[in-house]
Amino acid sequence: MKTHLTREQTDALEAELDALRAEVTADLGARDAAHIRGIIRLARWNAIAGRSLLMFGITPISWLAGVSTLGLAKILENMEIGHNVMHGQYDWMNDPTLDSQTYEWDNVCDSGDWRHSHNYMHHTYTNILGKDLDVGYGVMRVADEQSWSPKHLFQPISNVALSALFQWGVALHDLDVSNNLSTPQGRREIRARSGPFLRKAARQLFKDYVFFPAIAPWNAPRVLLGNLTANLTRNVWTNVIIFCGHFPDGTQVYTEEETVNETRGEWYLRQMEGSANIEGSRWFHILSGHLSHQIEHHLFPDMPAHRYAEIAPRVRAICENYGIRYNSGSFWKQYGSVLTGLVRRSVPKRAQGGGDLAPRQELAAA
Amino acid sequence: MLTQATETAGRLLGSRWLRPLNDLAAVDDLLAQLHPTWSLGRIKARVVEIREETPDVRSFVLRPNRRWPGFAAGQHVSVAIEIRGVRHHRTYSLSSAPADRLLRLTVKRHAGGRASNALHDQLGVGDVLELSPPAGAFVLPKALPEKVLMLSAGSGITPVMSMLRDLHHRAPDRDVVFVHVCRTPADAIFAVELRALAASMPALRLAIHSTAERGRLDGDGIASLVPDRAERQTWLCGPASFMEMVQARWQAEGLADRLACERFSGPVLRRSAAGVPVRVRAARSGHSFTTTGERPLLVEAEAAGLAPKHGCRIGICRTCRCRMTSGTVENLRTGELSSEPGQLIQLCISAARSDLELEL
Repeated sequence: MKTHLTREQTDALEAELDALRAEVTADLGARDAAHIRGIIRLARWNAIAGRSLLMFGITPISWLAGVSTLGLAKILENMEIGHNVMHGQYDWMNDPTLDSQTYEWDNVCDSGDWRHSHNYMHHTYTNILGKDLDVGYGVMRVADEQSWSPKHLFQPISNVALSALFQWGVALHDLDVSNNLSTPQGRREIRARSGPFLRKAARQLFKDYVFFPAIAPWNAPRVLLGNLTANLTRNVWTNVIIFCGHFPDGTQVYTEEETVNETRGEWYLRQMEGSANIEGSRWFHILSGHLSHQIEHHLFPDMPAHRYAEIAPRVRAICENYGIRYNSGSFWKQYGSVLTGLVRRSVPKRAQGGGDLAPRQELAAA
Repeated sequence: MLTQATETAGRLLGSRWLRPLNDLAAVDDLLAQLHPTWSLGRIKARVVEIREETPDVRSFVLRPNRRWPGFAAGQHVSVAIEIRGVRHHRTYSLSSAPADRLLRLTVKRHAGGRASNALHDQLGVGDVLELSPPAGAFVLPKALPEKVLMLSAGSGITPVMSMLRDLHHRAPDRDVVFVHVCRTPADAIFAVELRALAASMPALRLAIHSTAERGRLDGDGIASLVPDRAERQTWLCGPASFMEMVQARWQAEGLADRLACERFSGPVLRRSAAGVPVRVRAARSGHSFTTTGERPLLVEAEAAGLAPKHGCRIGICRTCRCRMTSGTVENLRTGELSSEPGQLIQLCISAARSDLELEL
């Protein structure tokens, strides 16, 4: 793998990070259980309050309050609860309601599809071009190494659209729609595997746009619009946070050749160099599901996320020791570089030295 | 037709289309926030009293919520105990009589026992436990036998104590012989209560045998204590060695069909090092295979023709997660050995270190 570290150093890095993981794992206990249960209760009560305000309120203010509380509930459930529980961060508790393999989250993405595309594909092949679909989501060019195609000209606009409809992007992710639609066997695969997504989407649409408006017929349009806006809020928030995870300046991408026969130390290194953190307050971190600590999350995906904030100083110190970049910045710095990067990469890069604009065959087309 | 209608209604109400409104666990949690023993369907019981029976045995007197269905004397419940955030389940026999309003669980502290120590050290009056419904076939029949023999040792007294108290309610003049083996007289659980029962049950004969004073109680010792054992229906509960001794004696005397036994723990599986072949049973598919534990269980299962779900194969994604019903595995990433029955393991990074049963 392309790195300034020697094999000895990556082995030492592996041992240090393994030890850190073991230390936290041994310490897991009642306070971690209390944390996730507290967040779940907070989300539930906000959802009850939000939906009640939408169903039984009259004024625009109560509508806004309803949308805010329901939106907050959906954000917490999506990020701090759903994403983290499905990673297995709380499997050790032996609580059937926190079981990573059976938890179903409140958006149109089927949990089984998510576990496959995220837990397995994204976390194993993080930032490897051609294997990690998160690099651009099949519609955008987010790294200079990705080859350019005309559709990228529109990516500042498609970014906004994807953001507003992010839960649909997430839901379709596992089907790799943009690649599969272009070939007959890809289309066959979509047909074969789209059942869980279609069923989940149908249930979610029913819940938010048929059921809840129907049980409050006096306020049906208000409830429908409120649910739509709450979903939109969650979509935009999760999209922005997730894009800050791997797209800010300074994050590395890799080719398949570079990562063949990787050791665990090299895997750790790729996770760190491919991820970026956002600085913020404790509640900012919770609302982001601690994906603001993307580096720590990628090192230890199945560690209860609130622990990332606690180990961050130690991970940063380890990075300094080995001369590894610890990519962290304020929200505006990180998201700003994502947006400017999208604009910059919407046009083909004038290659340095070679002047060759033809797409390199061995790198996957975005 | 009515049952069909209720069935359909039940299916509709439980349908995924109505989630999260019909998420019973979520509703239960909200109810529990309002009052700790309220629940839609779970049995919760509050500790109202704690009694020190002996230096290492405690009884917890519990008031159950309305979901408690009642029980037959001799039955047991599974208690969910949360220790350091982890839910554990342990089974305990109820030592109270079915006619009592309050339940009694009598727990002996075992050295190194996680649950028993947690219960002794952390459970206090006012705390709430979750119980399973009562279960077990080790009960008195509806038609009570004329003559009864109860044999117990150590904490095995709990189910037969429940039976004795039940007999005290239902048939106080029944001919009962109650033999209990303990280490010292101070270790005799329920000693005071037993003597009180003996005073009010004319045909009850008590024999408390202290091994410190009189040595081990063997088959001959029981024979001399209970010469008319052939005429008695016998209920037996205690440590494995005690039970095996009695079972052998009853078998030898042709009385095996008059003996009912309650076993507290399953057989202990011997641990082995890597390289020693062990047998792995995949309970769901019915297949079994042998492994020397040098390769992860995922690889071994695939070599044996099974196709477990898998993903990254390096211990990150948890797709290969599987429940281990019994046995010992080693986590190849961390070197940790674990034998907790019913625990979840990742097949791609776990190797067998004893005979195993997997939910595969």
